[in-house]
Amino acid sequence: MDRFTQDTAEKTVCAIVEDLVQDWGLELAEPIGPRTMLVADLDFASVDIIQLCVALEQSYERKLGFHDLLMKDGSYVGDLSLAQVAAHVESRLQ
Amino acid sequence: MTVRTLFIGMDGATFTVLNDLTSRAAGAPVMPFLAKIFEEGTRAKLRSTPNPLTPPAWVSLMTGRGPGHHGVFDFIRAEERAEDVFFTLYDSRDCRVETIWSIASRQGLKVAALNFPFTAPPPKDLNGFMVPGFIPWRHLRRNSAPHDLYDRLKAIPDFDAKELAWDFEQEKQAMEELTHEDRENWVKYHLPRERQWFRIADHLLREESPELMAVMFDGVDKLQHQAWLYVDPKQQSGDLSDYHQRMRVLCLDYFRQLDGFIEKLVVAAGPEVQVFLASDHGFTATTEVVRINAYLHEKGYLKWKEVPDTDAGRRREDSMFAFLDWQQTIAYCRTPSSNGINIRVARHPGESGVPPDQYEAVRKRLIRDLEDLKDPATGERIITEIHLREDVFPGAAMHDAPDLLLVLRDFGFVSIKNKLPVVEARAEIAGTHHPDGVFLAYGPGISKGATIARRNITDVGATLLYSLGLPVPSDFEGKVPQAMFTAEQLERRPVVIGASTVGTARNDDAAGMGQDEKAQIMAQLQLLGYME
Repeated sequence: MDRFTQDTAEKTVCAIVEDLVQDWGLELAEPIGPRTMLVADLDFASVDIIQLCVALEQSYERKLGFHDLLMKDGSYVGDLSLAQVAAHVESRLQ
Repeated sequence: MTVRTLFIGMDGATFTVLNDLTSRAAGAPVMPFLAKIFEEGTRAKLRSTPNPLTPPAWVSLMTGRGPGHHGVFDFIRAEERAEDVFFTLYDSRDCRVETIWSIASRQGLKVAALNFPFTAPPPKDLNGFMVPGFIPWRHLRRNSAPHDLYDRLKAIPDFDAKELAWDFEQEKQAMEELTHEDRENWVKYHLPRERQWFRIADHLLREESPELMAVMFDGVDKLQHQAWLYVDPKQQSGDLSDYHQRMRVLCLDYFRQLDGFIEKLVVAAGPEVQVFLASDHGFTATTEVVRINAYLHEKGYLKWKEVPDTDAGRRREDSMFAFLDWQQTIAYCRTPSSNGINIRVARHPGESGVPPDQYEAVRKRLIRDLEDLKDPATGERIITEIHLREDVFPGAAMHDAPDLLLVLRDFGFVSIKNKLPVVEARAEIAGTHHPDGVFLAYGPGISKGATIARRNITDVGATLLYSLGLPVPSDFEGKVPQAMFTAEQLERRPVVIGASTVGTARNDDAAGMGQDEKAQIMAQLQLLGYME
C-alpha cells in the first residue's frame, strides 16, 4: 500500500473517530492522530470499537472484515492505533 | 403536516398486568388513561415471533415479515467458521427487508421513530427523525437522523443522553446476583429513562407533526424481568414482606407514570389521530432453570472448552457465549436468548461438524434426546415444543436461524452454563417472555369497546401503513385486522394491497467483538433475565 492511500485512510479514520468522541468529555493530551490508541488514549470499550467498525463500513459503504483485525491467533487484541485501523481498511479496499 | 398515526410500543406489555392496572374494581385504576383506551378502543392479544424475543419481534413489527424473511433472530449474531464460531451483534444492516419507516418515507410521509431496536445505523432514505434504541449514549449522535437532530435534542430542557440510553457501565455493576437494594435501584434507574423518551417524542410531535409518530417504552420489559414477583397479580396475596410491598409501590409508580406519558402524547397528537399500542411479546413467570448445553454435553453432542484458572478465564466461563471445544461439538445452544440448537455441519471434508449427508439423522436423534428430558417426579416433558427451522422460519434467511427452536414448559429462556443439575427449580420466580403480547387501537374510525381475535405481530406494520393512508405491500405477511376499524372507515377507505416492498442492500460480513464487549452485553442481557 503506498503512502498516499495510507494517508487518505488515516485521515478518514481520524475524522470519523473525532466525530465519534466529540460528546465524550475526553481531555486528550494530544490531538487525535494515527498514533492515538483506541483504548489507552480514548477509553474505548469493546462496544465502542464495534460502533467505530460500523461507522467505517457506513463511510466506505462496504463491509470491511474487522474480525481479522480484532482477533489474532484465537484471541482478541487488547488495543489498536488509528494507524492500524487505517491500514486494515486500506487492505480491504484493494 | 398533520400527525395521522401515533404508535406507542411497550416492550413486554401483557394483559396479565395491564388488566390488573386498569381495573376499577378496587377504586381508581393505576393506569386510568389506558383504562379509557380499553373501554373506548379495540384490543387484541398479539402473537409474537416463534421465539418471542425483542430483536426478531420488533423487527417483525417494523417490517410486516417473519424472522425467516427479515433475518434478525437474536441480539447476538454468530458466524460458523471452519474451526470456530465468531460472535458479533446484529444491527439494522442485517435486516433484509424494508421497514415501515422507509416505506412511508419513500411515499412522501414524514416519520419519527424513537427507541426502536435495530434502527441503528439509520436508513439513508428516511424522511423524518430517528433516535435508535439499544445504543449506548456515546453513539447516539452518530446513529440519530438527521445528523443535526442530536444537537436539537440537547436543547430540550433536562435532556440527558446518559439517562436516556443504554448504560453498559451501570448494568455491569449489577452483573453479580441482585441484592434487594440492587433490584430496587434497577427499577428506579429505568423510571427517568421513560421520561427522557417521552420528552423527545413530545418535542417532535409538537415541533414537527410527523404523519407517523412512533415511540417505544422498553422499561416495561426491564422492570418485569427483575420484578415480576411484584407486578404479577397472582403473587400479591398472603403475607407480603415489607420489601415486597415497597417494590410493588415502586413498580406501580412506574406504570402510573407511563400512563401519564401515553395520555400526554395522545392529547398532543390531537383528536383526529388514530392511536395504536403494541408490545413485542407478553410476560409470565419462569420457575426453573434448564441448562441445555449441560444436557447436550451429557448426551455427547458437545464438549466444554478448558477454561484457564485466570481472571480472563473465569470471566469467559461466566460469559454467556457458548465457549466450547468446536472440534468436538456437533450441536449446541449459542445464547440463552436464542432458545435454539445449532447443528454444526462440516462444509468441507476434514472439517469438524456433522457430514452433510448425516444431518437429518443427527437432527432426528437430537429431537428424540430433547423429548426425553423429563421431570422425574411427573414424567412431564421439560421441552414442550421442538420446531424445525424450515417450519417456523421460512424465508431467505432461514439458514441463519437455529436448526431447532425450543419452547420450555414455563416459557423460560435456557441457560448455557457449564453447571449441574440440568434442571433446577428457581429459589424465586422470575419474569420471562410469553408469546402473547398486546395490540390496542383508539381514536376516530376505531371500533369502540371491542375485543377481537388474536392477531400476529406482523399485522401491526400493515395496520400502521393502512392508518397512514398507504397501501399494504403485497409481500407483507401481516394483514390489517378489519374488525379493528368501523364499517364507516372501511367503506370510506378500504384496505388497498399495493406493490411489494423495495429490496435492501445487505452485507454478509460482520465486525468482530472483543471479550470486554461480550461481558458488557452479557451484563445487560443478564439483567433482562435472558441469563441466570
